[in-house]
Amino acid sequence: MNIDEIFDFTSFNIDREPHIVLDAGVCVECDSRGCTNSCPARCYTWNEEERKMTFVHDGCLECGTCYVVCQRKAFTRWRYPRGGFGVAYRMT
Amino acid sequence: MSRSFQAIVVGAGPAGSSAALTMARAGLDVALVERGSFPGEKNMFGGVLHRLPSLEKIFPDFWERAPLERHIVKKGVTFMTGDSSFNTTIEAGSFDRPPFNGYTIFRPRFDRWLAEEAVKAGATLITRASVDEVLQSDGQVTGVTILDRKGALKAPVVVAADGVLSFTALKAGLRRPSFDPGQMAVGVKALIDLESDLIDERFGLVREQGFANEFVGCTAGVRGGGFLYTNYDSLSVGLVFHLASLKGSGKTPYDLLNAFLEQPQVAKMVRGGRLQEYSAHLIPEGGYDMIPELYGAGILVAGDAAALCNATGLNLEGINLASQSGVLAGEAAIAAHKARDFSRKGLSIYKSLLDESYVMKDLKSYRRAPQMLHNNRIYNEYPELVCSLMEQLYRIEGTPKENLSKLFLKAARDKVGLKNLAADGFSAWRAL
Ligand SMILES: Cc1cc2nc3c(=O)[nH]c(=O)nc-3n(C[C@H](O)[C@H](O)[C@H](O)COP(=O)(O)OP(=O)(O)OC[C@H]3O[C@@H](n4cnc5c(N)ncnc54)[C@H](O)[C@@H]3O)c2cc1C
Ligand code: SF4
Ligand code: SF4
Repeated sequence: MNIDEIFDFTSFNIDREPHIVLDAGVCVECDSRGCTNSCPARCYTWNEEERKMTFVHDGCLECGTCYVVCQRKAFTRWRYPRGGFGVAYRMT
Repeated sequence: MSRSFQAIVVGAGPAGSSAALTMARAGLDVALVERGSFPGEKNMFGGVLHRLPSLEKIFPDFWERAPLERHIVKKGVTFMTGDSSFNTTIEAGSFDRPPFNGYTIFRPRFDRWLAEEAVKAGATLITRASVDEVLQSDGQVTGVTILDRKGALKAPVVVAADGVLSFTALKAGLRRPSFDPGQMAVGVKALIDLESDLIDERFGLVREQGFANEFVGCTAGVRGGGFLYTNYDSLSVGLVFHLASLKGSGKTPYDLLNAFLEQPQVAKMVRGGRLQEYSAHLIPEGGYDMIPELYGAGILVAGDAAALCNATGLNLEGINLASQSGVLAGEAAIAAHKARDFSRKGLSIYKSLLDESYVMKDLKSYRRAPQMLHNNRIYNEYPELVCSLMEQLYRIEGTPKENLSKLFLKAARDKVGLKNLAADGFSAWRAL
């Protein structure tokens, strides 16, 4: 199975307003960056050259992993999307 | 607009719907609030619904009415290393006769059905509503607000059944502000389409019989395991990782899932199938020691929100414990209404009911198991030991064979170390 495809099969009703907001400044100082490998939806990307963290909420599966893994409390907001928005499982 | 109810349930998963159903059947005016556009839209799990004594009592014909996939007649465990695997399966006649021991289900169907049963009993289901604040006055919970909606929902008792992260319990001051990654696991799953005839043939099943297989040694050294369950015409295949171990490994869940699906023996099981959906969710794995405050003034916590999940045996038991605790929370709220006492003391009956039920009893008896699962040897050395032993036993090279106990000791010394073997045997015995 092709890994890039795996993300295309899940349906979303994307909210323009992000439900998770990251203070990326905190990430520069972070020594583990466990979110980058632990997030099952590849939402966190660390660019070593620019020393910059990018977070995209679009494909978020609302699994909760980053909320637990980040022990620096880098989130200015971590909540579930507004009612009716976000991931929409059909048969899992 | 504000509305008043006799009880509010946050979250229409198995815990919340069971609580709402129990209260509605007793005549309480109850609101069941769910953030998804329908109950179950947000929910994934591995796939086996175990016996539900709590709901069987409420509907004697539960198993005829619920939307189910296959009943599990065959259970297996696979020890895996690289491209070798060793399987054990049990198929018991009693698993094929009602009352069945477990079923595969889809959450978007099952959770929706259960919530509709609560509605039939008189509960008011409010969907697309994400609970935001927990209203309190003088330390007594009095209701909740909904994100982006004006007004509030008021009630003398709120049941927090909002799942593993329970922001409702957090805001009511019942759970600690952060979680220990050592007490959490994350599961990822691929739902793969496969014709039902092919499933029957491939796994040796007939009618609506199902197969549930667990795997160890398939997570590239990350503490965790795998599963493969047969639905009616699809397979649920996934991996579960202890979060602390995954975090430290630098490996990603989707790469490991891909490698698992490509492992030669697994690849044969899923061959010809098409990926339908990918999903992920946390599991509260800490067991008894992770349980938060279960009640406060005007509030009760049930299901995953209260970490009532038994993830330490060979079965992952979550839905059954969630549903049972939901029913008990419902009963406690009914008792509080009768006594007109919603104080902490008035609701403490919930704790007594839980303590008497199998929910707490099981979590107590498996209290030490989570520590045992933090032993890396279970995920690497033991699967290797089993596979290499079996390989040697079956290999024929035209040289005389060593006897079994010698082979075992040699393999154990190489793979695990005899001292470790004794220590692990002892701690497993103590934990179980
Ligand atoms: C990978 C994996 C495999 C599993 N395998 C099994 C298995 O094989 N068998 C088994 O029995 N258990 C299994 N479990 C465990 C089981 O899924 C859970 O224990 C069970 O779902 C808990 O039920 P619950 O009702 O407490 O919580 P949930 O099912 O999580 O329901 C919580 C509900 O609350 C809603 N909600 C959350 N926040 C809000 C809010 N603010 N406002 C409104 N609504 C909200 C959610 O949308 C959701 O519908 C597995 C779990 C995982 C992750
Ligand atoms: S773990 Fe937290 S602080 Fe570290 S990089 Fe990730 S989000 Fe940033
Ligand atoms: S909730 Fe899960 S899927 Fe969403 S960003 Fe966090 S780790 Fe990734």
